[in-house]
Amino acid sequence: MSLLDRTMTRREALQAGVVGAAGLYLVACGTTSSSTSNPVTLNWITWNDHYMDDQLKAVHSSNQIDARVTLETDDSDGYLKIKQTHGQFDIASTDALWAPKFHSDGLTESFDITSIAASSQLYSIARDFPFWKDGSKTMGYPFGWSTIQIYYNPANVSPAPDSWHVLADSKYKGKVVAENQPTDLMAMAGLATGAKIPYGMTTDEIAKAKQFLLTCKPQFQKLVSQNSEVVKALADGSAWMGLENLGTDFRVKDAGGPAIKFVTPSEGTYGFIDCEQIVSASANKDQFAKFINDMEQADWIAKNFIANGRPLFNEKAYKVLVDSGQKERADLLLYNKPEEALKMTLKGPSSNEQAYIDAFNEVFGA
Amino acid sequence: MRPSAQKAEAAVRGAGAIRARSRIVLPARLGEYAGFGPVLVLFGGFFFAPLVLIVAYSFWQVIDYNVVQSWTLDNYRYFLSVPTYVRTFIATLWMTALATLVTIAIAFPFAYWLTRYVSRSWQRPLLLLVIIPFWTSYLLRVASWITILGEGGVLNRTLESLGIIHQPLSFLLYNRWAVIFVLVYLYFPFAALTLYSALERFDWNQLKAAMDLGAPPLTAIWHVLIPQIRPGVITAVIFVFIPILGEYLTPQLVGGVDGVMIGNLVVNFFVGAQYTRGAAIALLITAMAVAMLILFRRSLVLEQVYGR
Repeated sequence: MSLLDRTMTRREALQAGVVGAAGLYLVACGTTSSSTSNPVTLNWITWNDHYMDDQLKAVHSSNQIDARVTLETDDSDGYLKIKQTHGQFDIASTDALWAPKFHSDGLTESFDITSIAASSQLYSIARDFPFWKDGSKTMGYPFGWSTIQIYYNPANVSPAPDSWHVLADSKYKGKVVAENQPTDLMAMAGLATGAKIPYGMTTDEIAKAKQFLLTCKPQFQKLVSQNSEVVKALADGSAWMGLENLGTDFRVKDAGGPAIKFVTPSEGTYGFIDCEQIVSASANKDQFAKFINDMEQADWIAKNFIANGRPLFNEKAYKVLVDSGQKERADLLLYNKPEEALKMTLKGPSSNEQAYIDAFNEVFGA
Repeated sequence: MRPSAQKAEAAVRGAGAIRARSRIVLPARLGEYAGFGPVLVLFGGFFFAPLVLIVAYSFWQVIDYNVVQSWTLDNYRYFLSVPTYVRTFIATLWMTALATLVTIAIAFPFAYWLTRYVSRSWQRPLLLLVIIPFWTSYLLRVASWITILGEGGVLNRTLESLGIIHQPLSFLLYNRWAVIFVLVYLYFPFAALTLYSALERFDWNQLKAAMDLGAPPLTAIWHVLIPQIRPGVITAVIFVFIPILGEYLTPQLVGGVDGVMIGNLVVNFFVGAQYTRGAAIALLITAMAVAMLILFRRSLVLEQVYGR
């Protein structure tokens, strides 16, 4: 009779439990001992376009610093995770006005950017963003930026749009795609309806933005979770318009799709400037400069640009791109114009996030 | 030894044994309960404690991205007062019910055919075919339907190349029907396996006897077969209905703006760090699932399900 065919006695069950627990303990010990063989592992909460696997391996082999990446869905997600886990994270990637929020709430701390040698490769404007200044120090190491604009297929969308209000035009019913980012889409609606501070709308402004989104809703085919889904929809022709980051036209073309154009709406646009911050409660703060210095070298940043296609702040990487024949693409994606980043409404925490999400759900619910 | 002396000696031995047992009864009872230890730790740590936290969160608030532990009914009041959520709950319920009904309606004839008309040597390979989709990821299984049903998808291209249509059919995706269709595809194996398990134990002679006595086939199935496999049918309904109730990914990928289910709204709360609102609406979904279980409680006798 096999073990599976008969009933286990209590003694056998307990013995099996003890053996299993001992096995798990030994496995855990093995894991611990192998991880402690590396001097430092930095826990990094970030987005997947801030690093490449090869880059992390190279940084590990050059200075024995490992990075254990946790992906965040949005800044609010990162904010709560860092707040709830205290010192479990060492580095946080944050957007524009979220960085001061993290800083003022004591989650991150500022540093002397000149102590990181790679900072000399940055555009000078990026070293001095006023909203990240903390006296002589800075709150975050600048990484990249992008505006969100309307991409459209000129074969189907005519005349060329110049306003967010094109999203309310019923002739484009079911032909618009965007990423499912409730706060940002509310901010877009705020821009369209004249809100003074799109991420800090008053109750009346939220109501107007909600009404605008309601008129736009029939035109939305879907709200997706990944940029790649917008690209796919524009490439296969199922969508005619998409709200996306810089570089979407290239990605659509690379995916075999039609030539699409983009417009920055007359009401203005919104977008992100992101950075890497030191988590205050981290036990490995002294490793931040070394890690960032290795990660932010021009060659890696140039590779990142080619892979992800949106402007970054490393000026030396721009020169690498020019030397490797990528100037046209880099210029079209505004890599050489970092000052453009300051013309958009910067992404930041909403002053009343709950009202934003409530309004968004009330629009996009059944 | 005489029989009476043997009896007396046995009685003395028995009394001694009872005394000895009473001395070890407490450790023995503790030993019995110790067996529950791992279950209590697992159940308490991974189910009960998180559930208590979710319940507590649902009565708290988020202010400026901070969870504030002030007790309030605001989250529940909000959901019950805004028609959008009520409508979305209703839409979710009917979509779930319809998807479950269609899944069972397809799975039942399949399981019936498999158990009644297919030889035992072929049943296992055919069942294997049913579960083959499980070898790929859930995400991939849903996403593949975009490639099939999309405007530039396999189906539209085939129909166009055959000259049946001249414009791609856009209604195949991004609506409630697309969601229901894909859900049926996803949950068919759960229903088929459960129903197969129930039908496999059925004595088909009873059905034959009913028909020999003049019952039409459908009448025999309805009055003889169905009552006997009812626990299996109910288990299949539960296995399909409850997971669909909390579905998020399928409506997200193939539902579009028109195919939203309540799970999609829950996700928005968590994306926006509104954990307390998210906890409250998640509990409302749980309440629906529990109501469903209570509804079927009388019909579901576990011993019958497992054939004991």
